[in-house]
Amino acid sequence: MKPRVILSISVVSLGLLIAAVPQNTTHPYKLTADQLLEEVKGRQQYFSPDELADMLVNKDPSIQLIDVRSADEFEKFSLPGAINIPLTDLLSDQYSDVLNQDVKMNIFYSNGTVDANQAWLITRQLGFENNFVLEGGLNHWVETIMNPEKPAATNPNEELARYDFRLAAGSALGGGGAVNAAIVATGDQGGAPKPIVKKPAKKKASGGC
Amino acid sequence: MGPLVVNEIISENTNFLLAFLIGIGFGLVLESSGFSSSRKLAGVFYGYDTVVLKVFFTAAITAMLGLLFMSLFGWIDLDLVYVNPAYIPSAIIGGVVMGGGFIIGGFCPGTSFCGAAIGKLDAMVFIGGLFIGVILFSETYGLWDKLYMAGFQGSPKLSESLGMSDGLFALFLILAAIGMFYVAEWAEKKFPREEY
Repeated sequence: MKPRVILSISVVSLGLLIAAVPQNTTHPYKLTADQLLEEVKGRQQYFSPDELADMLVNKDPSIQLIDVRSADEFEKFSLPGAINIPLTDLLSDQYSDVLNQDVKMNIFYSNGTVDANQAWLITRQLGFENNFVLEGGLNHWVETIMNPEKPAATNPNEELARYDFRLAAGSALGGGGAVNAAIVATGDQGGAPKPIVKKPAKKKASGGC
Repeated sequence: MGPLVVNEIISENTNFLLAFLIGIGFGLVLESSGFSSSRKLAGVFYGYDTVVLKVFFTAAITAMLGLLFMSLFGWIDLDLVYVNPAYIPSAIIGGVVMGGGFIIGGFCPGTSFCGAAIGKLDAMVFIGGLFIGVILFSETYGLWDKLYMAGFQGSPKLSESLGMSDGLFALFLILAAIGMFYVAEWAEKKFPREEY
């Protein structure tokens, strides 16, 4: 027999085999407590502010920001393109299409991370795949992207490059001192470890855009 | 167990090293199968040489079967394997541009570097054109970004869109590929070319 015929026959029989066996479903519908703990330990649900800023600046259509704070707070300030799903209404039917889909990556955010993490935990336990949390919440966003702290000149180049990126991203995404002060003032229910407003003098200078 | 990088079995740097070694192997195989000849590559459009179609489809089937069996044995979690996001309009436009460039230039990006590596002038000119295209696109990105990002579909798999299991889809793809190989060989006999 010609080698090509042998090859064809073996590939087809492997195909028949793989078509006949059940798909390996490594992920059950609900996660066990162990699996959930692994995900939490691995911090797999987090998007860092830098990653998010990069995606927002690039107008990446694959993400959907979800503000889980109350409608009032959402009115006052929200990130570009965010929609508001208050944590209390998370399981309402009107949002199930948004939360349970495999097209976009949902990124929950609140002032800190407590509310967003609760939303993530609930949706994750329901077996929804595409939900994530903004690391450090809005407070951390304000610290890193809106008011990045200039690293000392002795820092490695990556630090300085990151600072430049944050400055550029902050201004591109409408960073402004006035808005920031409002968010930080509302505070969080014990979320981010230290939502400290750094260098108020500098913030005034950068405000107004 | 797998994927190796996502599950932090190997580091990002080891990953680059492996990619480098695989890349060298890939280039070697491309060159030794004659992929550094633009006439051979363009042959697939005219039917006198369909080795491109056969090699790449064989590679796709091999990788597909390997992944599916490794998933069956629990060696790799397919949910963690990166699937390119789908943007329908840019995929169509990009496909037309790429296909047109392939016929005119006689190379695709990878094989042009392969050809340049053995000193082919047409491949070097092709790489020049490639960079001009990259610069033009980047500099005028603001004009295109709406179109570029339009029609986002997530990362769908054909098997999911057709509502069948991955394995069944794989079987159909294998049968389709073997059918295509026979048509390709028939075309080679039908449109022969002596010297190219």
